[in-house]
Amino acid sequence: MLLNLKGIFKWVNVGGNRVFLLKDIDLEVKEGEFISIMGPSGSGKSTLLNVIGMLDGFDEGEYHFLHESVHKMKEKQRANLYKQYIGFVFQQYHLIDELTVYENIETPLIYQDLKGSERKAMVADMLDRFNIVGKKDLFPTQLSGGQQQLVGIARALIAKPKLLLADEPTGNLNSKQGEEIMELFRQLNNEGVTIIQVTHSEKNAGYGSRIINLLDGRIDNP
Amino acid sequence: MLKNYFTIALRNFWKHKIFSLINVSGLAVGISAAVVIYLIVQFEFSFEKFRTDNSRIYRVVTDMTFPGEQVFKNSGVPMPMPKAVRTDLTGIETASHFATAYEVKVIVPSTGSQSPAEFKKQLNVIYADEFYFSLFDNYEWLAGSKQAALKDPYQVVLTEERAKTYFGNMPAKDIIGKRLVYDDSITTTVTGVVKPPNEKATDISFKEFISMATVMTTGLINQVGGNDWGSINSSSQLFVKLKNGTKPEQVDAQFHALREKYRDKKAQEKDDTKHHLQSLNDLHFNAEYGSFDNARQAHKPTLYGLLAVAAFLFLLGCINFINLTTAQSAQRAKEIGIRKTLGSGKRELVFQFLSETFLLTLLATFLSIVITPWLLKIFSDFIPPEVTFNSINQPHVWIFLLVLILIMTALSGFYPALMLTKFKPVTVLKNQMHAGTSQTRKAWLRKTLTVTQFVIAQFLVIATLVISKQVNYSLNKELGYKKDAIGSFYTRWNFFSEKPDNRRIELMEKMKAMPEIEAVSLASNSPAHGGGSSTTMKMNNGSKEIELMTETMNADADYFNIYKLKLAAGRFPMQSDTVREYSVNESFVKAFGFTKPEDIIGKFIIKGNRQLPIVGVLKDFHVKSTHEAIKPLAFASAQKSSFTVHVAMKPQVEPGVWKAALGKIEIEYKKLYTEGDEFEFNFFDETIASFYKKEQDIKRLLNWSAGLCIFISCLGLLGLVIYTTNTRVKEIGVRKVLGASVTQIVSLLSRDLVSLVLIAFIIASPLAWLAMNNWLQDFAYRTNISWWIFAACGISMLAIAIVVLGIRTIGAALANPVKSLRTE
Repeated sequence: MLLNLKGIFKWVNVGGNRVFLLKDIDLEVKEGEFISIMGPSGSGKSTLLNVIGMLDGFDEGEYHFLHESVHKMKEKQRANLYKQYIGFVFQQYHLIDELTVYENIETPLIYQDLKGSERKAMVADMLDRFNIVGKKDLFPTQLSGGQQQLVGIARALIAKPKLLLADEPTGNLNSKQGEEIMELFRQLNNEGVTIIQVTHSEKNAGYGSRIINLLDGRIDNP
Repeated sequence: MLKNYFTIALRNFWKHKIFSLINVSGLAVGISAAVVIYLIVQFEFSFEKFRTDNSRIYRVVTDMTFPGEQVFKNSGVPMPMPKAVRTDLTGIETASHFATAYEVKVIVPSTGSQSPAEFKKQLNVIYADEFYFSLFDNYEWLAGSKQAALKDPYQVVLTEERAKTYFGNMPAKDIIGKRLVYDDSITTTVTGVVKPPNEKATDISFKEFISMATVMTTGLINQVGGNDWGSINSSSQLFVKLKNGTKPEQVDAQFHALREKYRDKKAQEKDDTKHHLQSLNDLHFNAEYGSFDNARQAHKPTLYGLLAVAAFLFLLGCINFINLTTAQSAQRAKEIGIRKTLGSGKRELVFQFLSETFLLTLLATFLSIVITPWLLKIFSDFIPPEVTFNSINQPHVWIFLLVLILIMTALSGFYPALMLTKFKPVTVLKNQMHAGTSQTRKAWLRKTLTVTQFVIAQFLVIATLVISKQVNYSLNKELGYKKDAIGSFYTRWNFFSEKPDNRRIELMEKMKAMPEIEAVSLASNSPAHGGGSSTTMKMNNGSKEIELMTETMNADADYFNIYKLKLAAGRFPMQSDTVREYSVNESFVKAFGFTKPEDIIGKFIIKGNRQLPIVGVLKDFHVKSTHEAIKPLAFASAQKSSFTVHVAMKPQVEPGVWKAALGKIEIEYKKLYTEGDEFEFNFFDETIASFYKKEQDIKRLLNWSAGLCIFISCLGLLGLVIYTTNTRVKEIGVRKVLGASVTQIVSLLSRDLVSLVLIAFIIASPLAWLAMNNWLQDFAYRTNISWWIFAACGISMLAIAIVVLGIRTIGAALANPVKSLRTE
């Protein structure tokens, strides 16, 4: 078992009322799964993904990742955990505009305290794999949307994470680019990377092995 | 990792070029100012520090108390005193006596092939006793030895430089035994050649040392006061080095007994003279005792003022930096969020931003070194000539710069670094954290800092205006006399000659014939002058006898006409060879207890065993600067003791007329005074202006400081407005769509920042008023701080702020909303 959510609640206080973002979420994910989270706007999909990725906290419940209690950890420990095992792909790519493609991909490794030569080797491999070696010195603003997302994915994968979280990865791409990305995901999943994606598209959801529907912060059992 | 940070930092600078430039320039100016002023202050405070045992070396100085409780301070001691000090006092290790000589004539007699050489006005010559080189032992002896060199009369020691002047490249040991003739009468033999220490930070920089024994055994001693314990001449200087463990108070306590033992009690019953020790380190700063003729002194309050200016400029630079960096920080928020998701810890982020700040500061420092020569020129009035651009190349300056950089990095970098690292990555990535949120928009710190900048700038502007007003007032006030088109020059005054010297009278006759000249007069000083002579005067005012120090001046009948001095009662003194009667000023009348000027006419002044009548009262006029109150003054006519010629010129019909006239006078002067005396003519209005030289310098300094402060503050303002405008692009677009006009948008954007300037004005005004009121107390005659000074400052600051803001806001207000509202 990779991760386990039990009774997760998350709310915000607006005025005097409590507005729930996540209500009583129970979720178990095994290694090697490819899960798609779907639901209408405002249903809490991205929030759930952020909670899983340890980018955001929750107010009630338990979260176990690789049998460790995430809810009991301090921020530094949590950071070390997700640094090591989780890679995040955003809808808006969120590349650092001031860095080149090479440097963008390299950045997570810098925070892992790897030596320069090691980093060089790993980044070179990644560039090769995605066939973007010729673009390594370009800046994000010089790339197309699909290429930027590719870089985003390369960056998410460079540290060889066990879990890849993707928040509407094809949302800003045209259909052809989207297809390429989803094929890539399928490939990665076959290699053993667990993938959880949030998506609107039925087509994209079809690439996965399981679909979870959210409605108003709750898991909607079909 | 560091390389990664620096790369990003540089790329960021490049991306926001204008911003970075503003940031760096403000900081650079601050650093430059700090460095220049550090150089000045460090140099001045280092004077005499290099001398061995400098904490034990003191000068013996003299205070004389006169009737009327006036204390006269003199840096010299009576000629016979040093010998007595050496024999009678305890606690003294070495005592050295020397007498400064003024503009000595030196003849190098011919030796075989060379003809005699003559040097008319040598400076830095002293008569020194044999202990001089033991007390000031930093000299290196190239020939001769300190034990033997100045023991006997008619010996002289030269510095390497002087030896070269007189004897060319002759090796030092060959110069020993050569002869030099001083003032045509004293033939000496060279007994030593020394190399003075290389240090520039000293006032004791004599170049020729004639043995003191020469003075003691010839008539020279009479030129410096003779063997009289009651006479003090400031050229007779006594320096002592105390024994280890002796406190200066212990020596001070012995002076009274010493004087009682030796002085002539018949001449004066009660001793009005006291001596005490002045520390060597005080020599450079104490203007009451002065230093030596060619040495320049430093003024501690001015140095502290300079330090304050430097601190202000530095502070402003830092404030700018903090402000602009934190403002920009929200734009970096996205990058920070991403880095956090990629696994960066807080520490790494803080380190990243600190290293960026460090890089910026380094850049600013390089820039500041480039700016420094220009700053040196601005402050040149205050900079000792020895401090130049090359002074930067000293180890302690580099250390100072390094400390400065580290302080700046810590100060300016920490706050932004901490603030930035608090962002939660999620909020950033979801774009909930946009720059306009409450966290950055309210920005209390930034607002406070900006207000501080403008408070400082406005304070300086007000101060400058007040000082200008006072200086103008002093120069243009009704001084009591005419000051333009008048000048004067000295003629030779021979003590010793029995034959009367009437050459000056002959000269005046010739001058009266010149068409350019309105009138001439023979007198002592002009109505306003630096020094003066005073004496005690006694009067019986009907109820009691009063004795006061009074300034005395001699003047013939024409004098009062030339300077247009006015009478309050009676008449001017009648032309006479010697003093027969007096005309006094109104202050004299009051000081001696009379109510009306008319009352004092016909009364007598008691001088020694003579009684001299007062025949007139002049209206008060300013003898010295408006710093000082007008004191009692008495005029008499005494042609035999009057040696200054005063000239009133007719108005110039065309430029150059006066110059030609002065040329003619000089020719006649030189025909009569064949001894080769220099003709030095001083215009009266220039003399008066020189009283205020210090204030003029301060005014100039303040002008520049205020200007720089305003510049830096405006840079900061510009940076801030660029930032806020950039972040509100979307808001401006929306407002325009809803119907806002350009004016409305401009005022919306400027409103916040303009109110900051106004708040600063409200804070700065009372502070400035207090400080300036305090400063004006220094002047006995002062102007008032008018309301329009404050109005002028406030309005001009506001105008400048609005213009600076307008540079950006108008552009923003004119932008096309379609472009601004397009989503990325």
